[in-house]
Amino acid sequence: METCRCPLSYLISFLLFLSHSETACRPLGKRPCRMQAFRIWDVNQKTFYLRNNQLVAGYLQGSNTKLEEKLDVVPVEPHAVFLGIHGGKLCLACVKSGDETRLQLEAVNITDLSKNKDQDKRFTFILSDSGPTTSFESAACPGWFLCTALEADRPVSLTNRPEEAMMVTKFYFQKE
Amino acid sequence: MENLFQDTLLQSAGSEISISRVLRKLPETMFILYMLIMGVSAFTIQPEEHPGAAENCQFRGKYFKTDFRVEGEPVVLRCPQVQPWLWTSVSPHTSLAWRKNDSARMVPGKEETRMWVQDGALWILPALQEDSGTYICTARNASYCDEMSVELRVFEKTEASLPFISYPQILTLSTSGFLVCPDLSEFTHNKMDMKIQWYKDSVLLDQDNEKFLNVKGTSRLLIHNVSVEDAGYYSCAVTFTHEGMLYNVSRNIELRVNKKEEETIPVIISPHQTILASLGSRLTIPCKVFLGAGTQSTTMLWWMANNTKIENAYQGGRVAQGQRQEYSENNENYIEVPLIFDPVIREDLNTDFKCFVRNTLSFQMLHATVKEAASFSWGMVLAPLSLVILVLVGIIWMHRRCKHRSGKAYSWTMFKTGH
Repeated sequence: METCRCPLSYLISFLLFLSHSETACRPLGKRPCRMQAFRIWDVNQKTFYLRNNQLVAGYLQGSNTKLEEKLDVVPVEPHAVFLGIHGGKLCLACVKSGDETRLQLEAVNITDLSKNKDQDKRFTFILSDSGPTTSFESAACPGWFLCTALEADRPVSLTNRPEEAMMVTKFYFQKE
Repeated sequence: MENLFQDTLLQSAGSEISISRVLRKLPETMFILYMLIMGVSAFTIQPEEHPGAAENCQFRGKYFKTDFRVEGEPVVLRCPQVQPWLWTSVSPHTSLAWRKNDSARMVPGKEETRMWVQDGALWILPALQEDSGTYICTARNASYCDEMSVELRVFEKTEASLPFISYPQILTLSTSGFLVCPDLSEFTHNKMDMKIQWYKDSVLLDQDNEKFLNVKGTSRLLIHNVSVEDAGYYSCAVTFTHEGMLYNVSRNIELRVNKKEEETIPVIISPHQTILASLGSRLTIPCKVFLGAGTQSTTMLWWMANNTKIENAYQGGRVAQGQRQEYSENNENYIEVPLIFDPVIREDLNTDFKCFVRNTLSFQMLHATVKEAASFSWGMVLAPLSLVILVLVGIIWMHRRCKHRSGKAYSWTMFKTGH
């Protein structure tokens, strides 16, 4: 039972099981957290980190592991999420310019994004699980998947050929 | 940005490029500028000033990663300004020089046989603990010069060093997955027949082991059906020959085994659709969600009033969402978020309150309506009455008990906590 500054009425409620006049005396709680931090690493065990403000995937040892970037995740719909880093202040987006499709980090707050806004669609990724791993397809760029290169320290990017052996599109994606 | 980066790079590596096309886009223009500054462009027309003397060199800071290696093995330090895959396009125009921070002398020194520079990288073979320190790479071309430092720490090859030098890798319980021997590219480059030996706790993993499969020609070890016992320290090693001498290059991996959290379809089990309340009183309506074995972490739970967020609808905070609670009963997971009225007013009787729950599998909603409780209720009369009776009974009981069993103070404690 929580501490309560109106014990009398609490006792009354308790004794008589009066469900309709339940009293809560705890101070108003903080807003429920809609954002969750997830660890992400690819099937080749590469984790994400920033190099010159660019998201790259590679291997971190010893005290370097504190550089690891975790993904901040806000669910949008079943199997669809917004993805960000740095406490949801930088969000992953699929941007098309000309015939080029690329992954971009944008300085927007993940909790300000809305699934109803068309311009926020580029931040939406569709999750699909296979066994223990997850793939991330861009909702704004259908057929384009979040990927890493086989080599370490290369940028995290998007590929439209997920079956190709040169790109890794399967990630372990687990809550902190 | 990266695609642009690579595209532009590939183009620059070629002989011809339309500059006007590149200039059309700002990011690309910025990249050109970057390349000019870096002096790595293959087509830059070099200005004749900037002699590039060491004192004019711009120091661009310390590389964000530290190299942790063990003594007796070869170590390769890469110049952080130049990514290895860019080296071939950069090398015709740029010279790289290395020096150690604590000495002005260049490395390798004249008498030095353990260190040399190859393809811009500093090789140390074999590394000694006293090689630990900060190394500065100076990249210079006709127009520009810049420096960055890299930190190297060479550890004794003992078990005590493992936590400082290991690469953590994670696999999921009861699935199969790979460990990867990292940062070996300098030693396995151009070698299709790379032979990596894998060890667990210093014991060589047998080729015919059903549990572990050393995937030929790759740096990967497949672990079948990962169990908790598979967690721990692994090492992988390749051999490297230099001037007739055989060296071991090893990397250490700490395998952690995680249990994957499963999601289930959440079920809202309370509130009841109609909640009775007296106007002017406080009211808490808990929205309680059953998840079974599913994870609480990915499940969102929130309230709305007439399709408006609670914090927007009641900016004064008369109605507010309480703290989210996550708990388990009999190994089943629940989440609860209360809606708190302080106090209930008539307007609330006509408001459509809704509790929403969402995770990646499902989205559900439940209506809750507040109804005014009858002004006279037996409950309200009985409540103070029963309390008075209870207290009286308690006092009498206490009194009698204290008389009979003096010194048994715990009975009072029991009475206090018993309710």
